[in-house]
Amino acid sequence: MITVGDLTKRFGSKLAVDHLGFEVRPGVVTGFLGPNGSGKSTTMRCMLELDRAESGTTLFDGRRFRDLDQPLHQVGALLDAGYVHPGRSGRNHLRWLAASNGLPRRRVDEVLELVGLTSVAGARVRTYSLGMKQRLGLAGVLLGDPTTVILDEPANGLDPEGIRWIRDVLTHLASQGRTVLVSSHQLSEIALMAHDLIVIGQGRLLEQGTVAEFVERHAERWVRVQSPGIFELQQPLEQHGATIEVIDDTTWHVRGSDSRTIGELAAARSVVLYELSPQTGSLEDAFLQVTAAAQEYRSGHVDGGA
Amino acid sequence: MINLLRAEWIKLRTVRMNWVLGNIAIVFPLVVTLLTAYFRGDDTGFNGLNTQDLVSTLTGTTVVCSLLCGVIAAAAITSEFGFGTIRPTFAATPRRLRVLVAKGVVTLLTTTAIGATVIAIGWFGGSSIARSRGASIELSTVDTAVPAMVGAIVLVAVMSLAGYGLGLLMRSTPAAVATLIVWPLIAEGLIGGLLGLITGKKNLSSWMPFQAGLRMVFVDRFAEGPSRLAGGAVFAGVALLLVALGSLAVSRRDA
Repeated sequence: MITVGDLTKRFGSKLAVDHLGFEVRPGVVTGFLGPNGSGKSTTMRCMLELDRAESGTTLFDGRRFRDLDQPLHQVGALLDAGYVHPGRSGRNHLRWLAASNGLPRRRVDEVLELVGLTSVAGARVRTYSLGMKQRLGLAGVLLGDPTTVILDEPANGLDPEGIRWIRDVLTHLASQGRTVLVSSHQLSEIALMAHDLIVIGQGRLLEQGTVAEFVERHAERWVRVQSPGIFELQQPLEQHGATIEVIDDTTWHVRGSDSRTIGELAAARSVVLYELSPQTGSLEDAFLQVTAAAQEYRSGHVDGGA
Repeated sequence: MINLLRAEWIKLRTVRMNWVLGNIAIVFPLVVTLLTAYFRGDDTGFNGLNTQDLVSTLTGTTVVCSLLCGVIAAAAITSEFGFGTIRPTFAATPRRLRVLVAKGVVTLLTTTAIGATVIAIGWFGGSSIARSRGASIELSTVDTAVPAMVGAIVLVAVMSLAGYGLGLLMRSTPAAVATLIVWPLIAEGLIGGLLGLITGKKNLSSWMPFQAGLRMVFVDRFAEGPSRLAGGAVFAGVALLLVALGSLAVSRRDA
């Protein structure tokens, strides 16, 4: 269990983390989301006391990070896969990490095997791809067999197989009762692996709950209707206050009404329906909806043509 | 602490640049000293090699060794900031001072061993070569020879402490290395000369940290300025102050 309370961090005049508080429970993967510049990485660094917070505390199973004698046994963290000396081999990187917490050398070989880097363990890290560095970073996280795992953008640079592998690893770790907190911009990945969600914007907590609740609460819902006589439904649907988005001659997306009402309206007019399916927006839709007001950086519209 | 010492030793010895610098630090003074012993060892005239000359050559070239050891020590910490490995380091050991002490101890012991190796091989090799060429080399004939050679080893150790301290304070390899090289070779002379002009005292520059430290390696006796012991104490005091201030800064700042 991670308990973050009233965490505040300022860089000069900029308030990066603003009285942030949340809990991460064991047994499930918890996604940590926020737009660029929202303070996710700073929060993670403050949790590990790498950045000095102005106020607030973070407790790992009730203990402050600085009070952990050999933290790799309790907290495995990967903040950036690039935090490796490029002239050192992958194995030697893990060896100093293991030695610092009294872990045996054989554990290094075990985690190298686990992440699939045994064959390149003796090569200098500067020859590694970003995906290989991510695997090396994850090996470092797993060294101490920790009860809590914290990862910042672990899927960056991974190929589809690697992304799937990391998803499987994290869900497996959570299923063993560990606490897993993972930040990512790949919302489809979070939707697949996370059960719980923490969403922040401009350093403040915007939402905390399950992914399902979050999507249910914030994502747009509509009904997809497909029928050869679909235009016969236009007037009754508009009388019920529904809005219609025409997809093609036989397909509409109907908002402001539910599938039961639409089905009854169709039946009353003997309109044949090929499809009547409720649709819900994605986690991405819900995320963009919630963080719209908390975007630090906004993109301009791209017009077609030069 | 043993775990941390092991971790820092693995870090130090698994970077190729440290081996390159360490080897140059050993080979350069030895090559100069042994070649001097060989080529001047058979000259019995005015340029003939005596014990004082041999020790002076050895301790004088060890100054270069000390500068390189200072660079190794500075890079031991600045590379952690440069490559970001300071974060996994502190995430693995949140008590930062323990990490900094372990790194300082490992670096200090390694560089001191380099200095001791240079002096031991330089003296025994150089004196053997010179004697085989006909020179009369006897340690007992120069009472300042042993203090100068011990002083050279201490200079290497103190220089590495100074490099480590600068690295802790500056966090940047180019800045720390440039300061380490420019300060003793240029800045001290300029500042000492300027202070001498202002105060009218000629020997102020000999009290500047590196110049004072250099007193440890000289075979000659000095009528003015700090003694061997006082000079070493001044330089060691400044180096320890740099390490203390740097450790304090690293402990308080964001990693």
